[in-house]
Amino acid sequence: MACVYIPVQNSEEEVRVALDQLPRDASDILDILKAEQAPLDLWLIIAREYFKQGKVEQFRQILEEGSSPEIDEYYADVRYERIAILNALGAYYSYLGKIETRQREKEEHFILATQYYNKASRIDMHEPSTWVGKGQLLLAKGEVEQAFSAFKIVLEGDRDNVPALLGQACVEFNRGRYADSLELYKRALQVYPNCPGAVRLGIGLCRYKLGQFQKARQAFQRVLELDSENVEALVALAIMDLQANDAAGIQKGMDKMRRAFEIYPYCAMALNYLANHFFFTGQHFLVEQLTETALAVTNHGPTKSHSFYNLARSYHSKGDFEKAGYYYMASIKEINKPQEFVFPYYGLGQVKLKSGDFRTALSNFEKVLEALGHIYVQLGQVDKAQEFMRKATKIDPRDAQAFLDLAELLISSDTGAALDAFKTARNLLEKGGQAVPVEVLNNIGVLHFEREELELALESFNKALGDGVWLALTGNKPKPYVIEASASILDYKDMQVFHRLEEDGLAVELPWNKVTVVFNLARLHEQLHNTGIANILYRLILFKYPDYIDAYLRLAAIAKARNNLQLSIELVNEALKVNDKCPNALSMLGDLELKNDDWVKAKETLRSASDATDGKDSYAVLSLGNWNYFAAIRNEKRNPKLEATHLEKAKELYTRVLVQHTDNLYAANGAAVVLAEKGQFDVSKDIFTQVQEGASGSVFVQMPDVWINLAHIFFAQGNFALAVKMYQNCLRKFYYNTDSQILLYLARTHYEAEQWQECKKTLLRAIHLAPSNYTLRFDAGVAMQKFSTSTLQKEKRTADEVRSTVAELENAVRIFSQLSAASNLHLHGFDEKKINTHVEYCKHLLEAAKVHREAAEREEQQNRQKQEAARQLALAEEARRKAEEQRKYLLERRKQEDEQKRLQQAEEHFKREQWKSSNPGSRRRDRSEIDDEEGGHSEKRRRKGGKRRKKDKNKSRYERDDEEPDMMDDREEMEDEDANRNYGESTTRMNDQDDDNGENAQDLLAAAGLEDSDMEDETAAAPSSAAGRRRRAWSESDDDEPVQRRPESSPVRGNSAELQESDGEIREDNRKPNGGNALDDDED
Amino acid sequence: MAKSMKLAGLKSVENAHDESVWTATWVPATGSRPPLLLTGSLDETVKVWRPDELDLVRTNTGHCLGVVSVAAHPSGVIAASAALDSFVRVFDVDTNATIATLESPPSEVWQMQFDPKGSTLAVAGGGSASIKLWDTATWRLVATLSIPRPEGSKPSDKSGSKKFVLSVAWSPDGRRLACGSMDGTISVFDVARAKFLHHLEGHYMPVRSLVFSPEHDSRKLYSASDDGHVHIHDVEGKAIIGAMSGHTGWVLSVDVSPDGEAIATGSSDKTVRLWDFKMRAAIQVMSNHTDQVWAVAFRPGGRGGRLASVSDDKSISLYHCS
Repeated sequence: MACVYIPVQNSEEEVRVALDQLPRDASDILDILKAEQAPLDLWLIIAREYFKQGKVEQFRQILEEGSSPEIDEYYADVRYERIAILNALGAYYSYLGKIETRQREKEEHFILATQYYNKASRIDMHEPSTWVGKGQLLLAKGEVEQAFSAFKIVLEGDRDNVPALLGQACVEFNRGRYADSLELYKRALQVYPNCPGAVRLGIGLCRYKLGQFQKARQAFQRVLELDSENVEALVALAIMDLQANDAAGIQKGMDKMRRAFEIYPYCAMALNYLANHFFFTGQHFLVEQLTETALAVTNHGPTKSHSFYNLARSYHSKGDFEKAGYYYMASIKEINKPQEFVFPYYGLGQVKLKSGDFRTALSNFEKVLEALGHIYVQLGQVDKAQEFMRKATKIDPRDAQAFLDLAELLISSDTGAALDAFKTARNLLEKGGQAVPVEVLNNIGVLHFEREELELALESFNKALGDGVWLALTGNKPKPYVIEASASILDYKDMQVFHRLEEDGLAVELPWNKVTVVFNLARLHEQLHNTGIANILYRLILFKYPDYIDAYLRLAAIAKARNNLQLSIELVNEALKVNDKCPNALSMLGDLELKNDDWVKAKETLRSASDATDGKDSYAVLSLGNWNYFAAIRNEKRNPKLEATHLEKAKELYTRVLVQHTDNLYAANGAAVVLAEKGQFDVSKDIFTQVQEGASGSVFVQMPDVWINLAHIFFAQGNFALAVKMYQNCLRKFYYNTDSQILLYLARTHYEAEQWQECKKTLLRAIHLAPSNYTLRFDAGVAMQKFSTSTLQKEKRTADEVRSTVAELENAVRIFSQLSAASNLHLHGFDEKKINTHVEYCKHLLEAAKVHREAAEREEQQNRQKQEAARQLALAEEARRKAEEQRKYLLERRKQEDEQKRLQQAEEHFKREQWKSSNPGSRRRDRSEIDDEEGGHSEKRRRKGGKRRKKDKNKSRYERDDEEPDMMDDREEMEDEDANRNYGESTTRMNDQDDDNGENAQDLLAAAGLEDSDMEDETAAAPSSAAGRRRRAWSESDDDEPVQRRPESSPVRGNSAELQESDGEIREDNRKPNGGNALDDDED
Repeated sequence: MAKSMKLAGLKSVENAHDESVWTATWVPATGSRPPLLLTGSLDETVKVWRPDELDLVRTNTGHCLGVVSVAAHPSGVIAASAALDSFVRVFDVDTNATIATLESPPSEVWQMQFDPKGSTLAVAGGGSASIKLWDTATWRLVATLSIPRPEGSKPSDKSGSKKFVLSVAWSPDGRRLACGSMDGTISVFDVARAKFLHHLEGHYMPVRSLVFSPEHDSRKLYSASDDGHVHIHDVEGKAIIGAMSGHTGWVLSVDVSPDGEAIATGSSDKTVRLWDFKMRAAIQVMSNHTDQVWAVAFRPGGRGGRLASVSDDKSISLYHCS
């Protein structure tokens, strides 16, 4: 056994004191110590021993004696031991103060502690242990910042001072800086690996606060390994178990709580949790006992508040409203801010309501709402906060449920706030230890989805679904089912996978309340382009619920997106088998029929869709509007009257939708298109701009059409630069630069802006993307031809320019020749004769250009020589002559030059004879030709032409359906403007045009002096009927080319159809789950 | 489970061409030099690059209207390039001497591939709805494998033009040729008998790239389509044995690693993705390009795997695969 030996003064002897046999009366030992003037460290050792044995009085007695003034005097030069004694006393009183619950006594203890520490400081103000003690004292008093300074002083002197590290860690924890705190605890552990378990407790708590639950758990477990009776660690682990929120977890958690209680029955936290538990199990007498004990042992405001709340809740549920009210009140008194703990306010409000004290009830509910409002104020949505506060006072607020109501309230107006409210509700439920209903998690997922936070959405859906058959189907590990599923994506009826699953012993179950979640999950996977998984999930739904129409429609939409129209139609028909009046299915079918170019059927289907909803379904009405619009465009050339009727009808339909839903972007877009059609650009531009703004910011609204329409307007107004930018942005933003149709618009704009190279490059890109579109090749040929013509027409041009012209013409000839050869094979719809005309024209132009090239090269050569000669002359002259002679020389040279020029001009004149008569002439003639062509009503036609142009610019494109007709328009109109611009003729690829063209070309040839021009008369005559022919051509082309035209026609429209659908679905889902109103909470 | 392949960026050349880079292929090593990378661009040039630094070896001119396809002979000595002007230029890789200029109007030329033995060059013939086979000894057109018109269609039926042939692939044993069309169908031919066998269905949008798995007797064909999917077909059994989705745009190019385990794709969504055949799932996404990725190509041969990708953003990227 440990002993101390007190040396006997003036002798060699020592008194042996066995530490385990210290006398009960400390005076005995004190006498010895004093008598023998024993070293102070012995005093301390003996005092500490008393303390360890729980003999606190003796401990205090010895130390107080040991720090008395006589001792100070006698041991004046023994500094450290005196300080140690004082610090021990300081620590003792700090502890007493800390555990004392009565305020006055508490303060007295702290005052004493402060005095001892101050005395210690007076002996040596640099002693670190004193500072650590002071820090602890300050911490116990709750003066965190001062405690920080105290520990800091120590750590500045010795950064490895373990007690100071622990103190500082505690400070940081209290300040909420858990990461810093964690670092300090870790350092303490590094410096002193044999720390008591408490250090690890700190680490565990920090980890817990930082959300590192697994590591926190490990830390707490380690504490328990070191000290199996550490109550704090037990309680912490128990709380974590409880939060697992399942039966097993709660069982484990309560076991730990019970153990903690058995070890130390005065841990308020454990008591509260136990009380909470027994409240739910209905053992109210236990609740009261436990909470009363808890209240007796703690001074911690929030904990007390919780205890009072438990107590109140218990009385409340027993119907003792008076006591309940009293304790709710007590609970509220302990709360600083209502938003930290709102439950008692609810409770009090309810109790007061029961007792008819409406005023007090109201004020309490307001508190609750304030707490809610507070959150909204933090979100910066003051009006929302107020609105909600008002609303919620009218209802019976029940914490989490109130948040859910609020969330639902906000869903339609402010998804962000709704999401936050849902999350708050979820957290409240989780904190309350309740299972969060599937519906709530589903809604959180949907809202994340809408905000494009797809990962979070996925997480929430998965959480909502929990364990089930879907895991076997969506896992990203190589599971045979996934692979099998991916192989069968083309056959929606293939249910083998599910049968296989069942054979393999996996239950293919899909509880009814999870169907919506599975659907949303599938929808999300669709958005993530995991088509295979989406597909299999929809099929799972259909396997269990064959009447789930939306699943059919989504499968149809997937098939449609992949251009598998046949399958898509089949699926829609399946949906219609379930409900032949389903407006969504009908709308989609109409859409598919349009894609298949079945106009009449489509109209019928769309009309029945509209009828099925009494004209209230915007989508169906819109589709009908579009149908009329397209019909108008389509019939434009055939029957102006019909066109007007269709347009009017379209407008009426769009307007009808707008009246019902003022914020329907598609209807607004459609209306603007009709306006643009009528030439009201400014208004339509405004609308398009607004639609564009409205469409940005939602994952479900993708409206490239409006960008295109805006670009068309810029184009029509001659603002080419902006049009180009707008087209390019649209391409990049919506199509990954893959849409050859928009590239064509872009090329057309470059063409108008006379940017030939850009035009050509753009067309080449378009060809690369859409190789089978021969029109693009034709256009590229025309662009090159035009480039060449314009270069040759230039007044000044370099030999390089002419050379590239020649190269370009060679390319054009090749392109046209190939098209000509291909026309034999009916690869495209161009007329061979027409193309041949182009070929001939280009060839002739090429020959001319070659001559020009030679001329230009010669000229270049001459210029070079001339310059060289001039330079040398000048040099020689300068060397030879003086300034006064220069003038004379200049005269002479000018003469020389004049002569040369004359010579050259003559030469050029000679060479250009043919061209000159042709080019400028041809231009002139073209113009006159147009005049001729349009004869007396040229002006009128012009206007009409202009208008038509605008039209097609703005045209529609309402969802870009009418691409092809548009193209035709473009072309024709160009022709109207300038017969020389053959750019567009192509599309029309009609017989009439080649006459026209032929004439032009021949005319040009004639003009170029390459051919005799006795065709003038014909030229003059022919155009008069051009318009008529064109019209004919239209109808022809309509019948001839349907397949080519339509396929392109609906992707976008299809899209928007889906978008709307999906939009609808999601909303629907929102509504659905919440309708269940499943939440009931325990708090009332 | 076997360890999956991983890609790591090695080198990127910005502005490798003046315009969009549309095609790339590896030229096998010869006795005197390592494998080279061949790229073709809208800027009408074909460039030859030496890995891993991607030093520019040569710029070949002579095409008009943009180079859409390049192919290398298995010997590594010669290569072919094709452009929108519908010419195929066959040249000596090391000297750039023109060996032959091929055309078969009015057929356009799109993807090309030399057969594994190197005796035939197959060229996707666009609107002619056929594959043209050129003998590499004489550079004569030796066969035209035509896709039969669907029954009941008139010769004037424009829908015939939908069998516009874009892509072509030889089976590793050289016995089968597959070609992909604008309408999404894939046609399979018996080369020896010059006979059309059957269609592989599943895509309904253009199939711009096809590649057989490299195992010698492989029947496994990968197809990349504008519908955003890569399908895996059993060519003989006419069945789809897998579909991989994840790209958010058109899949423009697909290639299989020399060991057959990994698949790389390039897409208009600007990404290059690496897929694992066994998992039927993407294992890596590279996003270093800023525009459509038109071609991806694994370097043939065993040592030190390399993948190259080229893009509309005018750049070339080289990756190490391990």
